Amino acid sequence: MDFKDKVILVTGSSRGIGAEIAQSFAKEGALVVVNYLQSDEAAEKVVIACKNSGGDAWSIKADVMSEGAVRGMVEEILSEAGKIDVVVNNAFKPYIFDPDKRKLVWELTWEDYQAHIDGSLRSTHNVCQAVLQLMRKRNQGSIINMVSNLVARPIIPYHEYSTAKTAIVGYSRNLATELGQFGIRVNCVAPGLVYPTDASRQTKEEVKEMILSQTPLRRIASPEDVAGPVLFLASDWSRFMTGQTIYVDGGLVMK
Amino acid sequence: MKEVGGYLPPCLEGELEYKTLTFQRNQDTVEIQIPLLTREQMDALTDIVKRNSRFILKSFTVNEIVSIIDKAIAIFLDRSSKYRQKAEKLLPIITGYDEEIIRLGLTSYLKSFRKPQLQRFLVEDLGNPLLLDDFQPRPKGGFSKAMGPELVVHVWAGNVPALPIWSLISGLLIKAGNIGKVSSGEPLFAGLFAQLLMEIEPKLADCLAIVWWKGGDEERESCLLNKADIVVGYGSNTSLASLGSKIPLTTRFLPFGHKISFGIISKAGLDSRKAWQTAHSAALDVIRYDQQGCYSPHCFYVQRGGSVSPREFARYMAHELECFEKRYPRRGLSLEEKTANAAWRNKEELNIFSNSSKEVLGTTSNNWTVVYEEGSQEINPSCLNRVVKVIAIDQLEQVIDFIGPYRSLLQTVGIASTPKELFDISDLLGKAGVTRITGLGSMTSPEAGWHHDGRFNLLDLINMVDIECSAEEYAERFAPYVD
Repeated sequence: MDFKDKVILVTGSSRGIGAEIAQSFAKEGALVVVNYLQSDEAAEKVVIACKNSGGDAWSIKADVMSEGAVRGMVEEILSEAGKIDVVVNNAFKPYIFDPDKRKLVWELTWEDYQAHIDGSLRSTHNVCQAVLQLMRKRNQGSIINMVSNLVARPIIPYHEYSTAKTAIVGYSRNLATELGQFGIRVNCVAPGLVYPTDASRQTKEEVKEMILSQTPLRRIASPEDVAGPVLFLASDWSRFMTGQTIYVDGGLVMK
Repeated sequence: MKEVGGYLPPCLEGELEYKTLTFQRNQDTVEIQIPLLTREQMDALTDIVKRNSRFILKSFTVNEIVSIIDKAIAIFLDRSSKYRQKAEKLLPIITGYDEEIIRLGLTSYLKSFRKPQLQRFLVEDLGNPLLLDDFQPRPKGGFSKAMGPELVVHVWAGNVPALPIWSLISGLLIKAGNIGKVSSGEPLFAGLFAQLLMEIEPKLADCLAIVWWKGGDEERESCLLNKADIVVGYGSNTSLASLGSKIPLTTRFLPFGHKISFGIISKAGLDSRKAWQTAHSAALDVIRYDQQGCYSPHCFYVQRGGSVSPREFARYMAHELECFEKRYPRRGLSLEEKTANAAWRNKEELNIFSNSSKEVLGTTSNNWTVVYEEGSQEINPSCLNRVVKVIAIDQLEQVIDFIGPYRSLLQTVGIASTPKELFDISDLLGKAGVTRITGLGSMTSPEAGWHHDGRFNLLDLINMVDIECSAEEYAERFAPYVD
C-alpha cells in the first residue's frame, strides 16, 4: 500500500494501538499527524519512529473532547499540509481493562456511562465534524473509527466502555449513509483484547488463556495486528466498503 | 543504568576493586558493578562467613529462618516493591528474555519459596524439621540432630534467571554459611535477594556473600573451594568436571550438569477437543526460557491412533510456537547460537532426502523449528532456543528403548496420558533413569520440595549427628540424682 503524499490524522497515537497505527502509515510513506493529550515525550518518540520508518510526522497536543481544541488541530494540519485524507479516531477515555476489578452493573451510575460516551463518541463526533467540510470539498476521504469486538460479544462486560463503543458503530453507519454521496467512507475496526498496552496490562494470564482458547487463530492480538486492517480501510483497496465493522480478533467474533 | 551487584558482609575490611559487566538489549544498557576480591579478601571473607554461620545463623530456629525468607519472597512477589521492579526491569536486559517471560517466570518460581512451600520442603527431606534446631528422639531409639556445615560454596550458572536462590535458600535453611559465585550471564538476582534478606534481618549480614570472578580464575576459585565444606556446582559437564578436579577429596561436591528432558503424549491427549490444549501446553514448555533449563524438553514422543495424528500434532505445535513468538518473543541469539541453529536445521533438511516421511516445519525467518520424524528414534539433543522434534510412536513403552543410551543425562518427562498409562510408564521411565515426571505445561515449574536430579535438596547438605541409645543409657548412671 502506498500512502505517499497522503495526510493521516491518528488521534490518541502517542502509545499503544494508536502509536502502532501511526508508524504503520509512516512505513508506507504517509505524512502522519500524531495527536496526543498527555505525554510530550511519548508523542515525540512516535514522531521519530515515524520519520525513521520512511514517512513524515509531527505531533499536535489537543484534547479531542474539546471542540475548540479539535478545530485548532485541524486548522493547524490544513495550514501545514493543506489537506486531510484519512482520519483514525482512536483516542478514548483512559480505561483499565481489569476483569477482576471492573464495576458490576449495579455499581454503575449514569455518570460512568456519560464519561465514556463523551470520551469515545463525543470525541469521535468532534473530529468528524471538524474534517467533514474539507473532505466534502475534495469529495473524498476515509474515516476509521476504532471500536472493540466487545460490541458484538461482551466476553467480559465492561459496560460503560462497550456501550460507548457500540454507539460509535451506529454513529459510523449513519455517517456512512449520509456521506457516501460525497465519496467519504466511514468504517470501524473492532480489535479483540490487545496485549500489551497500558490499558490491558492488568489483564490476568487466566483471562488471556480463556480468550485465546476460544479464538480460532489461538492467540490474542498485538498492536501490530490491528494496524493492517486500518491501513486497508484507509486505502483504495477498500474503495467500495463503507459502514462496515472489521473484527480483528483472530476469529473470536464471526459476523 | 548502573547497579551494584553481589553482596558482601559489612565487616569485610579493605578497599574493594569493582569489575563492570555490561549488558545490552535493544536500546537499553545496564552496567552491573560487581566486587572482585583479592585472594586475601577472599580468605577473610570465608573466615567471616564461617564464624558467623557458627555463632549467629545457627542460633536462629529453622522457623525463624523460614519466616525471614518468606518475608523476602513476599516482597519479590509484590509487583509494586522496588526489589521486584528492579528485577523486572533489569533481568530482561541482562538475560535477553522477553519482559513477560521474566515477569511470569519470576512469580511462578518465587511462589515455591513462600512459608507453606518451605515447610513442605523441610518435611519432605527431614520429616521433622526441628531436627535442624535440636536433638530429636528417633523411632529406632536415641536422638539425632541435623547439622549444617559452616560453609557451602555455590557456583551458579546463568541459564535461567533467579535460579541461584534455590540452592542459596537450601543453604540458609540448614543454617550454613553461604558464599555464592554468580555467573557472568546473570549476576544480578542472587545479590538482590541477599541485600533484601539483610534488610529484613540485619543479624544475618555477615552470614553470607555473593561474589563473582571470571570463569577459570584459578587463584580465587581454589582459595574458596579449599575452605568449603560442600560445593554445589551448576553448569555444563565440562565446567563441572573442571570444578570437580579442583575440589579437595574430603569436600562434598554436588554437581548439577546438563540434562535431557522430553515429553510423552498418549493418543488419549489427541482427541478432537483436547489436541489443541495438549499442543499449547507442550509449546509452553518449549518457549519458557527458550529451553535453557535442565527440565526443558528436547523432543516429544507422540502416540499414533488419536484423532489427531503425530504429524498433525507437529503442525499444531508449529502454530502454537508461532503464536507464542508473537506473545513472548524469543531472546536475541548470540552468533554462536545462531550458527548452531542454522547447522542443526541444515542437517535436518538434508535428512529429508533419505527419509521422505520427515518434515521440517518453519522457515529460516521463523524463530522456532519443529521437526517431525517417524521410525525408531533415539533422543537427539536439540540445539535449543525453540527447536524441537516430534517423533511418532505406536506404543508409549517404545520410548524406553530410545532413551536407554542417555540414562545418566535424563531428568524430566512431561506427560499427557490417562492415569493408568501415567503410572505404568512412570515405573519404566524411573528404571531408565528419569527422575521427574510432570504434567505437560509444567515441565519448567518444578514443585516445592522436588528432588532435583533425584536427589534431596537439604539432606545432601547436612550431616546427621546421632546420640545412640547406649550413650543415653550410660549417662543415666552418672546422673547426680541417681538413686
